[in-house]
Amino acid sequence: MDFKKTEEQELLLESLRTAYERGHFEDYFKQCDENHEFPDKAVEVLVEAGFPSLGIPEEYGGTEVDIMTQVMVAEEAHSLGWPSLCWINFSTEVVDILAFGNEAQQKAILECALQGKKPFTLGFTEPQAGSDSAAMATTATKRDGKVYINGTKTFNTSADRAPYMLCMARSGINESPYKDFSMYLFPMDRAGITISKLNKIGNNMCGTYEVYLEDVECEESDLVGVECQGFYQLMKNFEVERLTMCAANVGMARCAYDEALKYAAQREQFGKAIGSFQLIQEKLVDMKIKIENMQNMLYKYAWMKDNGESISVESSLLKRYSGQAAFEVIDDALQIMGGIGYTHDCRIARLWRDQRVYRIMAGTEEIMVHTAGRALVKEAQRA
Amino acid sequence: MNTIACYKVVPDAQDIGVNADGTLNFDKARMILGEYDLMAIEAAVSLAEATDGKAMLLTVGDESLQDSKLIKAALSRGAAELYSVIDPALASADAFQTASVLAAALDKIDCDLVICGEGSADLYAQQVGTLLGALAGLPVVNSVGKLEEQDGTLIVERVLEHEIEVLEASLPAVVSVTTDINLPRIPQMRDILAAGKKPHTIWSLADLGDLPASPVETVSTKAPESVERKHIVFESDAQENIDELVSQIRALG
Repeated sequence: MDFKKTEEQELLLESLRTAYERGHFEDYFKQCDENHEFPDKAVEVLVEAGFPSLGIPEEYGGTEVDIMTQVMVAEEAHSLGWPSLCWINFSTEVVDILAFGNEAQQKAILECALQGKKPFTLGFTEPQAGSDSAAMATTATKRDGKVYINGTKTFNTSADRAPYMLCMARSGINESPYKDFSMYLFPMDRAGITISKLNKIGNNMCGTYEVYLEDVECEESDLVGVECQGFYQLMKNFEVERLTMCAANVGMARCAYDEALKYAAQREQFGKAIGSFQLIQEKLVDMKIKIENMQNMLYKYAWMKDNGESISVESSLLKRYSGQAAFEVIDDALQIMGGIGYTHDCRIARLWRDQRVYRIMAGTEEIMVHTAGRALVKEAQRA
Repeated sequence: MNTIACYKVVPDAQDIGVNADGTLNFDKARMILGEYDLMAIEAAVSLAEATDGKAMLLTVGDESLQDSKLIKAALSRGAAELYSVIDPALASADAFQTASVLAAALDKIDCDLVICGEGSADLYAQQVGTLLGALAGLPVVNSVGKLEEQDGTLIVERVLEHEIEVLEASLPAVVSVTTDINLPRIPQMRDILAAGKKPHTIWSLADLGDLPASPVETVSTKAPESVERKHIVFESDAQENIDELVSQIRALG
């Protein structure tokens, strides 16, 4: 078993650190967080340095790298303090559209992705359909050679910035919801679309919206892939999406840990560094164990995926574990910082607010028990 | 025009320790490209790009130059190929020996301009570029803050105390560039992947002739001893304060 990064991976991570250091982003991120603004200037620096192209096929202007490398880059960026939900690589979205989209759709999505711009907000969750995705009620109705979309989507990240929505809608052809969802890609500036911002407790740099779709007129050619196959198409690549999301968990936990460790080594109380007290050491040790566990799972599953193995159960295990473990690490880091940790001057406070949603979004930690647990028991019954 | 940048592989200064006797401890220091040489590489690459020429790299040193990651790190910055002179005797080569070996290597390479960094990131003697020009019998300019080629002539700028000096030099020539000349590019993944496939020519000292004796005897290389500060502050430039300052300095010998 070889745990060493390749020379190319090491050099790429060095490039990332150089770009990050040159940017002097910390004050800028603090300002963006305070003003609820997307960190465009920082994004430009990573775009300039070529990071959006990773994982996009070469014939489409990208640089082919394995999933392991993509995961390492995302993790490292977040460990340096890159804000959550502002990542600039959209290779998963590109791979989806390359698999199912028509030529015009591919071109549109690639153009955004190569510029580090989020191509689409995913129209999936609805007010009445959270974990219960079968309850999605948005409809796609055909009339006079057009398709009309009606419904309400919610928790749409970057609906204000992403030029498109990839929308799941019932076609009204099959009774089973999963065999009835179709996927449509349409621009967010189409008539009939209005958005309303949600007031979240964190992730201020990335706006999240409710999106109202009222008779949004689409062409038949806005359909992505095969009619009524939308749900299965979406599931095809969710394992990789999940890995990238968990990479952010590991990165944010490392970011908080590094800062708390440095502080514990320097901050003096009762005449000595607080890091010399065993109660603080216990926290640091447990934090480190969790980071090691998360990383080991993340890299192993990335390796499995790169080697063609399914990680449908594993990605659920990782999503559940890394969401909770990262939260615990960041919470302990905040505790080590004492009162300072609870102020907006301290970066850990931002991580604490931002990471919390990773236990909820894109599959709650409870749903991860459902998906992994069901599969594990089924496997045992088959044996 | 074809350019060649010289670089040195050095221990990372962040990881150099100091032993109790003041000698330096390199045990934990990984080897990296000299940070001032990155500007030389960038200058060579961007000038070659601007003139439809080829940028090359040249380095001399011991076996540490064989490290494939360091080779990729160097070649991911835009140059087309690398020449290395590798010999155990070069581990402790001084500026004159280094310049002599570089001059001998340059005899075998077709290029119009040799670019060195401001100084090596370890010893920082700032001698190699100038010595190399003299040994190679080429025009040489140091402290160059701007470089361009016009009709086969090299135009360089040097920032002096009160003015900017603009010089013309005939080619081929040797220059040393300042750290302000550019901001080295950040290698992208495609550059890193391509770096491993670029040509790398390795010569031994025997391929180039003998290593000249060093004219310098290194007695020791030690970290400066830290001295407790005196914590004496003079609040104003009153004459008595100035006198007191002078006498205090004199008293310290």
